[in-house]
Amino acid sequence: MADVSERRTIPVPDRDSAPYWAALANGQFLLQRCRDCGHWTWPARPICSGCHGDDLAWEAPSGAGEVYSWVITHQPYAPDLARIVPYTVALVRLDEQNDIMIPGRFVSDVEIRQGLRVQAAPERVADDIGILNWKAAERPAAR
Amino acid sequence: MTDTSRFPRSQVAIVGIGCTEFSRDSGVGVFTLATKAAKAAVADAGLRLGDVDGLCTFGVNDSIAPNILAQALGIKSMSFYVDQFYGGSVSLSMIGQATLALSAGVADCVVCYRALNGRSGVRVNGSGGGAGRLPWDMQFKVSAGYIAPSQEIAMAARAHMLKYGTTNEDFGRIAILSRAHALDNERAMMRTPMTMDDYLASRWIVDPFRKFDCCLETDGAVAIVLVRADRAHDLPHRPVLVQGAAWGGGVTVVNNGHTDLTESPARPIADRLYAAAGLGASDIELAELYDCFTYNVLSQIEGYGFAEPGTVPAMLASGAFDRATGSLPLNTHGGLLSEGYIHGLNHVYEAVEQIRGDAGIRQVARHDVALVTGQLGYVSGYSSAAVLVGA
Repeated sequence: MADVSERRTIPVPDRDSAPYWAALANGQFLLQRCRDCGHWTWPARPICSGCHGDDLAWEAPSGAGEVYSWVITHQPYAPDLARIVPYTVALVRLDEQNDIMIPGRFVSDVEIRQGLRVQAAPERVADDIGILNWKAAERPAAR
Repeated sequence: MTDTSRFPRSQVAIVGIGCTEFSRDSGVGVFTLATKAAKAAVADAGLRLGDVDGLCTFGVNDSIAPNILAQALGIKSMSFYVDQFYGGSVSLSMIGQATLALSAGVADCVVCYRALNGRSGVRVNGSGGGAGRLPWDMQFKVSAGYIAPSQEIAMAARAHMLKYGTTNEDFGRIAILSRAHALDNERAMMRTPMTMDDYLASRWIVDPFRKFDCCLETDGAVAIVLVRADRAHDLPHRPVLVQGAAWGGGVTVVNNGHTDLTESPARPIADRLYAAAGLGASDIELAELYDCFTYNVLSQIEGYGFAEPGTVPAMLASGAFDRATGSLPLNTHGGLLSEGYIHGLNHVYEAVEQIRGDAGIRQVARHDVALVTGQLGYVSGYSSAAVLVGA
């Protein structure tokens, strides 16, 4: 686990978003889903992004998606990022809903490309806080 | 969609502009920068500080608030103020909001300003991981090491490359164009020529962006004075009318409902802006487009209706945006990429000089109608723009 005091990239949850980060700390990728219309909502919101209803539950999506775009960051924008540059952030479109695109560190050795199938890979970074990384759903090509 | 044609078209004029030196180290605080720029702008307008009764500013890092600047300027009771959180995405909403206040008669003389020690003080890039007020949605970005505007806009740039075959060299042509326009601008921080080899040799910041795809970090301030148009004609300079302005929503990665990051987030702002102004893209004679990164310019050329998606690279190669010979002179001062980063208000300054005909060696031939824009809508989900017209 990273030293929290050095991490500027630890999310700062509030009471609306805490369940999302706490689930990731426990290895679970959960999103809000509307009990009325079935629409998924990300990031955490007070009401459903689809029907604006109030009855949201935290549910596990498949965690599968595909890479839409990506950037490779060379500039160390925060002290804890200086140790990992260059690193790749993938913007991943979820299988469940095409308007949910979530950025996360891409943590596989597979060469990244648009359309690459990926899977959610939660990482615990503090007691009640996890972050969402993405790993390739396929293995690296044999060398 | 709201009928923005009810915008108070041409009822308000920019009558004064002022700025400080743009540098890497101002040696003074932002309070001093803002005060000096405001004084210069009011003097340029031929007005007195006692005439000012409204102050508008914005900022995401260091900033000086209207109530503090009012004390220095001797404004005992302001009639109107705006102190807006966020950066270049809201730069032109200052002009728009001042225009509404003036046309409604709730203020008589408004100064819009932005002062920052963006290099020696609080550097803007990476602000998402730093101190100060953070947008609520930043927690969903910082957790990915996705904390700087450069990253989010590079993400959209990559998507454009994948969809249209746009290349790094296309982005390079925008950087080179801006540098060429800065060479003879006495305000510009970067006045040495740039070649494609220079561009391609610059280091990666956030692939697909290199150093020269990224704007400068600057200490400085710009101030803009506005009054109702009927009063402008008695003042020293050609009045620059706010023909139209628009501000509103753009696209962020946490803004559900958008599925294609290559669709220019400037498009909905453009539609509202042109309706507000009663003009269209073909009426625009010069454009000062918010260029915190090269790709922003490309996307705005598409979004403001100057080119079909995917066709900007050919226009760049043909010189369409060159100041002296192009059909649409663009970022005639060198922009944020090569003049300096005053969060977009320096674009307004340049547009006013051009419309007045006071741009000297940089003066463009057709200079009556200018488009000036803020950040096109990524990152914050806000955007803003105005059409300025010479009276």
